[in-house]
Amino acid sequence: MNELAEQKVNQYLAELGSNLRPVPLAEREEVLREIAAHIRDCSEEGGSSIETVLDRLGSPQELAAQYRTDTLIRKATGSFSPLLLLRAAGRLATKSAAGFAIFLCGFIGYLAGAGFIITALLKPFLPRLIGLWVGPHAFTFGLWVHGSGGFGIGWYTADQAAASVHEVLGLWYILVALTLGGIFLYLTTLATRHLIRAFTRGRNQASLHWRQTLGTSQLL
Amino acid sequence: MKKPESEIPERWEAQLRKGAIEMAALAALWGGRLYGLEIIRFLECHSQLVLAEGTIYPILNRLKAEGSLTSEWVEAEAGHPRKYYSLTPAGEERARQMVAAWVEFSRGLGKLIEPVLEGEEARK
Repeated sequence: MNELAEQKVNQYLAELGSNLRPVPLAEREEVLREIAAHIRDCSEEGGSSIETVLDRLGSPQELAAQYRTDTLIRKATGSFSPLLLLRAAGRLATKSAAGFAIFLCGFIGYLAGAGFIITALLKPFLPRLIGLWVGPHAFTFGLWVHGSGGFGIGWYTADQAAASVHEVLGLWYILVALTLGGIFLYLTTLATRHLIRAFTRGRNQASLHWRQTLGTSQLL
Repeated sequence: MKKPESEIPERWEAQLRKGAIEMAALAALWGGRLYGLEIIRFLECHSQLVLAEGTIYPILNRLKAEGSLTSEWVEAEAGHPRKYYSLTPAGEERARQMVAAWVEFSRGLGKLIEPVLEGEEARK
């Protein structure tokens, strides 16, 4: 390898390395060693220039992105962090419709859980707006503004009966909403973890079959 | 002018190949340990799974993280070590499952596409 070629290889590896930063150090070093060995073997085979060899590997950004996605998914499926799980689901969402569905499920679940907890925390400050509102045509858990409707889980019809809608839980609302919020966050975490795992790993025949059909297994 | 109707089969074909690579990599290792470039050359020889060479390495890395492969660095006569991969028992099981699913799938499709093939022959 001449000096110019060596310079190009070093530049490629440096760029790959800096793009691999989220990957654990030991693994990153091994990847770099392996890719360096690949480049060396290819150039010793002869027949193709160093540009061709690097070209066929793909850009260092693209190559690093594949390792990063795998690392992110591995970290996420082993953790209970909503942020990490949503990030991994978000990565899947860019790849396929099923990935997007997983992301949506996680997003809505966390939103609902966080919403309950926020209303619980706001209850002491807005006692006349937040609660479990019950009336002839209404059952709303969350925020209720007389005359204009509600924002929460349940249903209501904005008719004259709204005037007779009343709150039934009082301060117990805080306990109920915190519990419901916690349950939502917990179940969403379990479901998202499970879905990401099932989606990225061929645990059983059915998902394997399905993944091959869609041709998505490599994309992940 | 763009011709979207001719782009769709191309993209589809690329996806089809990508989906098969994982199985192909496991199958390539069925006969014993190989290093990355050997796997790439093996796939080039035995299939039309022509791929950007880089894509195989993250796949091998993931298969290893999932326990389907193990790896070891072996010092070559060439003077630099190479990372050899081999199948673990879990990897062998996975390869078997994937191949079975693949065979079943293509058998089903074979029947489905028969009329299209026959129509092609009748036209000739």
